[in-house]
Amino acid sequence: MGLRWYHFALWAGFIILMYAMPDLVSKGTLRTFIFANFLAIFAISWDVLSGRTGYISFGHPFLIGIGAYTTAILTKRFDVAIEISIPIAVVVTMIGSTLFILPALRIRGSYFALVTLAFMELIYQLVQVIRPDLTGGTRGMSGIETLTRGAVNGYYMSLSLMLAVAISMWLLMRTRVGTALSAIGMNEDSVQGSGLSTTRLKLFAFLTGAFVAGLGGAFYVHYLGSIAPRALFDINFVFTIIVAALIGGSSTIIGPMVGAFFLTYLLEYLRPFLPGAERYFIYGGIALIIYIYQPKGIYAVVMQAWERLRSGKSA
Amino acid sequence: MTQIIIQGLLLSGLYALIAMGFTLIFSIGRILNLAYGTYLLIGGYVYFYFSQMLGMPKLVGVLLAVIVGAAMGLAKYRMIVKPLKGDHVTIPIATLILAVVLQSGVILVFGDSSKILLPIVPGVERVAGATIPFSNLLAAVASWAILISLYFFINKTHTGRAMQAVSMDAKGAAVSGIDSDRINMITWGISGGLGALAGVFFASYTQLTPSMWVAPLIISVAIVIVGGIGSIVGTLIVAHIIGFMEIIVTALIAPELRGVFTMVLIIGVLVIRPQGLFGREEI
Repeated sequence: MGLRWYHFALWAGFIILMYAMPDLVSKGTLRTFIFANFLAIFAISWDVLSGRTGYISFGHPFLIGIGAYTTAILTKRFDVAIEISIPIAVVVTMIGSTLFILPALRIRGSYFALVTLAFMELIYQLVQVIRPDLTGGTRGMSGIETLTRGAVNGYYMSLSLMLAVAISMWLLMRTRVGTALSAIGMNEDSVQGSGLSTTRLKLFAFLTGAFVAGLGGAFYVHYLGSIAPRALFDINFVFTIIVAALIGGSSTIIGPMVGAFFLTYLLEYLRPFLPGAERYFIYGGIALIIYIYQPKGIYAVVMQAWERLRSGKSA
Repeated sequence: MTQIIIQGLLLSGLYALIAMGFTLIFSIGRILNLAYGTYLLIGGYVYFYFSQMLGMPKLVGVLLAVIVGAAMGLAKYRMIVKPLKGDHVTIPIATLILAVVLQSGVILVFGDSSKILLPIVPGVERVAGATIPFSNLLAAVASWAILISLYFFINKTHTGRAMQAVSMDAKGAAVSGIDSDRINMITWGISGGLGALAGVFFASYTQLTPSMWVAPLIISVAIVIVGGIGSIVGTLIVAHIIGFMEIIVTALIAPELRGVFTMVLIIGVLVIRPQGLFGREEI
């Protein structure tokens, strides 16, 4: 897998820094960090499913929502223990992701993006109407059992989950499977021509992405303690996830994390100046400029600058 | 029954008008302009600002809305679509970001709360128990008129035929001496103007809210996907299928389920017959 000593050193440094964070910053900042952690999980999941294979999903909240709703309904309505309900939620999300497979076998590009968008709108409308006694209808559910109390515990929980996801995905993407997934994004026909089954690879990407999305969604709902359809199945939520993954740098693991932290921070920083949804004006504007300038994101910009510095030194 | 037919016709006319601008852009170069709904958003708000806040004549408000919409279309083509070279992954994402930026821009200027638009033509007519607001009737009539003139424009004029040529094969069109850049500019301008005009009618049909761009986008997507690419007749027929289904579902089953049929239709058609019901073979 081509692991080098500096990989371990960088990860170790990052982990130590992140775990020391509660001693360094205030409780309010810590809550921002929790949201950044969850956003990073969702962005990594989106990146595994879409960023690498090029099958852009605009319906990622569909997967997150399945995970979140499954565990919320199980714990609240049927008194299932969290330890059991979260694995069930993850499995259900993975089953739900197979709905994406069918279109992905026939259509590519813009059309696939449209189907996933339609899936999200479909579930948004169905959740409110079908069995409102279970899903809580339009208003959603509140009073769901939470895993942690207080900002510090919540931070450790979300951080551990985020790091576990990030490191395992990082290792996975360094294997040959990861390389093949990125190759699909570049040229699907030539991957097929090399004798690899693109159907199986896509299935693998979707199931892995769904696994992470379901896990993130389930933990997220047990952190928040409430769930509402409009907040979840929303095009603005899709926007936040995709922007985090792309601004940081898709097809990397560090990229979505950087993007999630950068954007959550930007949003918090703007709060004193623009309290409401107007913040997205600046946030989206910055995202758009970065994206048009470099579609591969901040990661690529930094790497290019680093290369330039190095070649400048040796010359 | 009469009520369903009348309301269905009015809604379908509006939907056909909404989808028209989207069809044009999607037909030329398969560009998925997810910011299409913001033409309607901006068009509605421009009309609101000039005719209701400044008190200008309504016709001036509509004209200004169309001009702003067309200018937006041109700017979008120049600043986003052309630099990204029509890429199928980056353009949907860039336009989605743009849509959210414009939505929050509207919130920044006009605030978060929804606004009621005065009807363009006041008054209602009652026919067999159905209420027909004149502005909805005007929207339906205008949409029919625009669709017919667009049909003739695309099939009979030189520019329209050039648009068709570019949508079929950009390279071939360039070889025949068509300036595809100019054709693209014209198409984006028309698309923006039509979107803004549809926005004025759509806003008077529902309400003026900063998030009013999502529903028209989904409707146009459904109409274009199901109707097939590059088919004006398909657009018209599918707009009526979707409009009537929404009215029927609302009247007979449950108002909350009105969008479900549309989504099922999009998913079903894309999986079973990706070229649409009336479109040409491709993909």
